[in-house]
Amino acid sequence: MKRFVIATLMLTLLAPGVPAPADSKIKVVTTIPDLADMARHIGGDLVDVSSIATGVEDIHAVPMKPSFASLLNRADVLLLLGLEAEHAFLPALIEASKNPKIMRDAPGYVDCSTAVDVLDVPTRIDRALGDQHPMGNPHYNLDPVSMKQAASAIADGLGRNFPEHQEVFKKNLDAYVADLDQHIARWEKEAAPLKGKKIVSYHPDLIYFAERFGMEPFGTIEIRAGVPPTPSHIVELEESMRKNKVDIVVRELHYPAGLAETVAQATGAKLVELPAMVGGVPQAKDYISFVDYNLQTMLKAVQGS
Amino acid sequence: MGRGARRATTAIILLALGAGSLPRGVRAQSDDLRRELEAMRKQLREMQEQIKKQQELIDKLSAQQKAPPAPSTAQAPTKTAEEKAADEERLRREITASIMRRVQPQLAAANKTFPSQFNPAIGLIIDTVGSYGSKTRGDFQFRAAELGLSASVDPFARGYAIITGSQDSFDVEEAAIVTTSLPYNLTVKGGRFFADFGRLSKFHDHDLPFVNRPIVLDRYVGGESQSDGVEVNYLVPMKQYLTLTGGWYNKMGADNDRVDNTVSRDLSQFTYLGRAATFFSLNDANSVDLGGSWAYTPEVKIDNGAMRNLVGVDLTYRYSPLAQASYRGLVWGTELLYNQEDRPVGGFPTTAAMAAATSLERGLGVPSMTTQTRSSPFALTDAPLTDPKPLVFKRRDATGLYTYLEARLSQRYYPGFLFDYAQDIDHVVGPTYAYSPYFTVWLSEFQRLRLQYTRLEQPGLHENEFFLQWTVVLGSHVHGFRDR
Repeated sequence: MKRFVIATLMLTLLAPGVPAPADSKIKVVTTIPDLADMARHIGGDLVDVSSIATGVEDIHAVPMKPSFASLLNRADVLLLLGLEAEHAFLPALIEASKNPKIMRDAPGYVDCSTAVDVLDVPTRIDRALGDQHPMGNPHYNLDPVSMKQAASAIADGLGRNFPEHQEVFKKNLDAYVADLDQHIARWEKEAAPLKGKKIVSYHPDLIYFAERFGMEPFGTIEIRAGVPPTPSHIVELEESMRKNKVDIVVRELHYPAGLAETVAQATGAKLVELPAMVGGVPQAKDYISFVDYNLQTMLKAVQGS
Repeated sequence: MGRGARRATTAIILLALGAGSLPRGVRAQSDDLRRELEAMRKQLREMQEQIKKQQELIDKLSAQQKAPPAPSTAQAPTKTAEEKAADEERLRREITASIMRRVQPQLAAANKTFPSQFNPAIGLIIDTVGSYGSKTRGDFQFRAAELGLSASVDPFARGYAIITGSQDSFDVEEAAIVTTSLPYNLTVKGGRFFADFGRLSKFHDHDLPFVNRPIVLDRYVGGESQSDGVEVNYLVPMKQYLTLTGGWYNKMGADNDRVDNTVSRDLSQFTYLGRAATFFSLNDANSVDLGGSWAYTPEVKIDNGAMRNLVGVDLTYRYSPLAQASYRGLVWGTELLYNQEDRPVGGFPTTAAMAAATSLERGLGVPSMTTQTRSSPFALTDAPLTDPKPLVFKRRDATGLYTYLEARLSQRYYPGFLFDYAQDIDHVVGPTYAYSPYFTVWLSEFQRLRLQYTRLEQPGLHENEFFLQWTVVLGSHVHGFRDR
């Protein structure tokens, strides 16, 4: 018994002796680098931003590393895509972080989807329909207009937590949105050749992109969202793609290469490989270059065909 | 539209949003609720129509008031601008009140269904195993139907329960309260839960990477580390991940019958636990989890009142390439356990213990020990002794481990290999070895098939066993931190 008491005392005394270094900046943790880039623009010098994902991951399969719990433990604000995009890792990490500031429904928990016009909200919830997102498709980060809405949610969230800096956040948001608006106008002009082009993607994560630039999502290589394909599904998909003259097969870079390539070859569609987040390829350094990269890659495929 | 009417419209919209946001927050799942919402929406549309009509009436009345007065010999008393505004405001208030009177009953009716929205998240896991052994023969085991419930209690705590029905019993595996808002990075857990000892002893059977729980965990921990008690966990506030856990329990181990869970006891007869766990990120793709656990019982009645120490070290290496994490990867997991306690020379010679051991081992897929000369370590305190001679106790040290390697070849296919080694706690017979290649197929995130072969090398029993496991998840399913 004595030994146990001594051990407990030692552990208790040892622990607070190694505190984390103090820093006056607002600590913002985001789930994806897209939100981190925007938070840096909106927060400016007031914020110190870290992202859990680096950009190359599948947002639904980000490894749940305990070091993220320590990162979240120090966060003042957490910015997330929402719509259950991060369900595979974020709820457990938030719980492990023991940080009441960023618990769900706390002011520091900023769900950026609340400002976004959500697409693909299911009318029936059933696992037979795959790994559904009951509140709608969460992959809005591929659409710059949706992300403009998310940027306003970031500014609101930061302002709610730090009202003394609200003016700065508002000013930075206006500047960022003005810049983004110019790019959106350019992208919409450049995207004219994409109008009406049919696309098949590995996962249903391009619907916002397609909607923005006038493309037509035709189907997915996955049999249902989150459910790996079966041979019979691929045969049916290929037949259907040939009949309907699908133009493009998109492989999001975090999915296996072989199958998407096979489907594209079998149907005569063009294979396009796209990152799903900022940082997914070296050229996508920030949000604007990310959208640029995706759009130009898609245009090259369409114009080259 | 006039200002008052705008207010009325705003009030209705706010009510509509308020009514709409509640089910959104808790995720409407039932068709009934959807139908109710549709009815609400219809009613609100009707209300909007009514507002529109009322607005038209207001506009009409306002227009009449603004129209130039008809020539008249008698000079009508003219209203001042303030009086006109006051009249308009009064009219609008009356209209708003009228609308609210109509809307209120519908909202109240809808509210009556909202309490059900506070029901916990519910999930059910069905785990079934077919097995065949060259000597023990085979059967289909309905291993478990595990009902999981979880919800927030209030702003300060959450609760969860895992209730399991198996072939011959119905059991509350876990039912615990966990604090959510304590300061200083502390969490307190109380009730019945899996104690924070090691790694796989905290996994439910269906969550294990292979069909059966490693032999060393069955023999030394007593299966899952189920405990009734209280546990405090502390996340050390520094960049390096480090958690410390202290626990205080009646006993540890779901199948540990050596200590009675239902009787009062002295402080020296509780089990106390200390654990430290950390994590090292070698680079983006490679990482190591390392933990050390110590369960200490100062006085175990059945072991002649001697103390028991159970110490474990767990190490998990993971290779998980970030861009391919959903279909490539490797896990190497190892736990080494050391058990020290006083045991009777020759083991406990009880028939009840033999029965308990047989039942336990069958449930866990381990071959029967009835043919063995040794007794189970899980002897009952009140078991009738067949030998009236007083038992002679001796300090016994026993060591055991398991190690497994599992590869992720695709989204579906996970082959692996498990090696088991466990010394007999009573040192009556030699150690047991088991070699188990297995192959897991994930049909989806919620359905899994697993095929396993086990070569068991146990003193007196050399057995080839085959297992086929089919596991599905219905309803709510949470990716827990402890299951990683």
